Amino acid sequence: MRKGLQWKLILALAVLGLSIFLAYPPKEKIKLGLDLKGGIHLVLQVLTEDAVNAETDQEILRFQELFKKNDITFQAATKDQPGRFVFTGTSASQEGKTRDLIDQYTRDWDYSFTGDRLIFTIKTLVTQVLKDQAVNQTVETIRNRIDQFGVAEPLIQRQGSERIVVELPGVTDPDRVKDLIKVTAVLEWKLVKAGPAADEETLTKEYGGKVPEDMEVLKGDPKKGEAGFFLVSRVASVTGKDLRMVRRSVDEWNNPAVSFSLNSEGARRFEKVTGENIGKPLAIILDGKVQSAPNINARISDSGIIQGRFTVEQAEDLVLVLKSGALPAGIRYLEERTIGPSLGADSVREGLLAGLVAILLVMTFMVFFYRLSGLNAVVALILNVVILFGCLGYFKATLTLPGIAGIILSIGMAVDANVLIFERIKEERAVGKNIPSAILLGFSRAFSAIFDSNLTTIISAIFLFQFGTGPIKGYAVTLIIGLVANMFTAVFVSHLIFDVAVPKSAKRLSI
Amino acid sequence: MELFKTPHIRFMKHKVVALFASAIIVLAGVLNVAVFHGLKPGVDFGGGTLIRVEFKDPTFVDRVRKQLADVGLGGSVIQETGKKGHEYQIRTTQVIKGADQQQEMEAHERLADRVIEALRGNGGPDKLKVTSRETVGPQVGKDLRKKATQATIWALIGMLIYIAIRFKLEYGVAAIFTLTQDVLITMSIYSFTNREINLPIIAALLTIVGFSINDTIVIFDRVRENSKLYRKESLEEIMNLSLNQCLGRTMITSGTVFLTLLALYVFGGEVINDFAFIMLIGTIEGVYSTVYLSCPVVIFWQKLFKTKKGFRR
Repeated sequence: MRKGLQWKLILALAVLGLSIFLAYPPKEKIKLGLDLKGGIHLVLQVLTEDAVNAETDQEILRFQELFKKNDITFQAATKDQPGRFVFTGTSASQEGKTRDLIDQYTRDWDYSFTGDRLIFTIKTLVTQVLKDQAVNQTVETIRNRIDQFGVAEPLIQRQGSERIVVELPGVTDPDRVKDLIKVTAVLEWKLVKAGPAADEETLTKEYGGKVPEDMEVLKGDPKKGEAGFFLVSRVASVTGKDLRMVRRSVDEWNNPAVSFSLNSEGARRFEKVTGENIGKPLAIILDGKVQSAPNINARISDSGIIQGRFTVEQAEDLVLVLKSGALPAGIRYLEERTIGPSLGADSVREGLLAGLVAILLVMTFMVFFYRLSGLNAVVALILNVVILFGCLGYFKATLTLPGIAGIILSIGMAVDANVLIFERIKEERAVGKNIPSAILLGFSRAFSAIFDSNLTTIISAIFLFQFGTGPIKGYAVTLIIGLVANMFTAVFVSHLIFDVAVPKSAKRLSI
Repeated sequence: MELFKTPHIRFMKHKVVALFASAIIVLAGVLNVAVFHGLKPGVDFGGGTLIRVEFKDPTFVDRVRKQLADVGLGGSVIQETGKKGHEYQIRTTQVIKGADQQQEMEAHERLADRVIEALRGNGGPDKLKVTSRETVGPQVGKDLRKKATQATIWALIGMLIYIAIRFKLEYGVAAIFTLTQDVLITMSIYSFTNREINLPIIAALLTIVGFSINDTIVIFDRVRENSKLYRKESLEEIMNLSLNQCLGRTMITSGTVFLTLLALYVFGGEVINDFAFIMLIGTIEGVYSTVYLSCPVVIFWQKLFKTKKGFRR
């Protein structure tokens, strides 16, 4: 065997071995997309404005406290819109002092004095940071929830500025999962001032038909049998943030319930509230809806129970979302796809059968036309597919239906590369070149066509990968890998096989 | 084995006729799409809900349609797929004008529930199995459309630049013309078949474009080579020669691809079926477009801008 040939042979075999190692067994190594495996695909949008809104609310409270502490007079503080609020009734004589105070306290807000009004506006950069954090936190919280729910290989990924893609292979009960993800899970305990009542008027009669400033009207959750309206204190006694532990349990009638215990800070407040309000109802509110409003029977310090006509499943899910924490902002669904496992399995089986038949046809065709040289092409083709799957395994790329299209195109182009080379060798033979130089010229002359056509397609595939969405990306990935493998197998390996199999003194070439 | 001896067909003689023929097909397609709304965006691009169901007992499209019409969903698109009489695909088409997107999504979901309920009648999941259910909101539909277009345009620009550098500007321009024609003609024929456009169809279109560009470049490569060998010949003669020299290869490659796709079409099952169908149209078209669009455009361009013929590299 000629020198250099040995090394080429070793390289080719090494690539083959490595690819097999990376792709075998395919059931474990090759990740199938949801269209082939079944599962749920969700695209959701984070309502990032919520985060800005919440920050505005908190900032108003903090400023009120700050001003009170430093004897700065004002009448009221009101929110104009998320990211903007106004203090009214400020006095001009305190302007300097106020400015110093605000500058010391925060740089996140722009403010201006006009007459007796002090207007705060959030800085654009701060808004962006807040929104960004909200999306990242949402991704984390959803991941927590999904992990606890128990899904193998979930994909939870941020997409663009405020979208999140959730892919849950194997899950087929979309409604439960959707509820689990969507619930904001802000849990609050608030004292009930009046209610439940059928409408708002009845509630506020006592207060002259207006909702007092330190109270708010909330609706009951009809699913939990609390259909009316409640008038509750605006400030929560305890919130979900004060929870130390939650678990599913049962109440005294053996109905599913959720028991909880509070951290020391929360326990202190809970003890005070319950101690001072024995006999009065305390509402348990989830995401702004009253779940239940039991009467306080005794002073409770650090643990208690949440009742609300739960099913076992609902109680379990509530525990799960409380454990994983509240979402920083609301979300809404933009896209949801549920693919049943049977449809996916059908697609895989049919795809495999079709692919197999197609490849066998191509191979028969090649051997029929090019005889032993065709066999060479067949070897190159098999190697191409093996390398492709090896790369898919290595990059942990997902094989989707459009991905199969990419494989078809790359196989088609692999066949074409071989055809180009063989036709060229025939041409060189026809003008009287001897076998070794015909092979050499065939490969070198066909190379520019193979190189340019493969590279052009690779370039377009790179753009598709860059700008395309899920399925188109899956297509681009298999195509790029397939074509790179093609340049290796059709040009390098195929040439190598000729060099090894055809002796220099050969009189006939089976082509 | 040899298919045939290198022939001497004067392909370029009929270039003007061919250009007119292409133009007519494209125009017919555009007309069909624009006037008769021939291209139906599927659930990916149009939004709405697509449900795939499997009946335990075989039924008929008309019966399914009637069952849906009884509950006021007669406008749904019903398509029989896969196992004869058992598997159907239903897409709700009702346009829901909600106050916001969330409401629109929920309304779509409720429509889907109604479809399933209507088809189940008083039977349970045993009678009718829902194998998949996809709802795409209006925003995402619009986005997918935008992104697919964007990706395609950038991919075309990338190819134009590469070919212009490796060959000459007019070859790049010709390639883009060709690919545009490939897409237009394929879509034009597709538009007459009543099938919907979804993301996998876009992948199929891109594959067609891929095969076609491969074809085009193989010929251009030969023209590039022959231009250096036969400096005195006119470009038209060189193109004829190159096309003839590559004819055997074109036949064998396209034939192989066509066979492969035929296998996919026959054995591929319903999901791959649409895909294989559009690819079959596309491969035939791709070969034609290389011969009768790529080459003529280069010739006309060179005549128009009076550049020196052939390659001088």
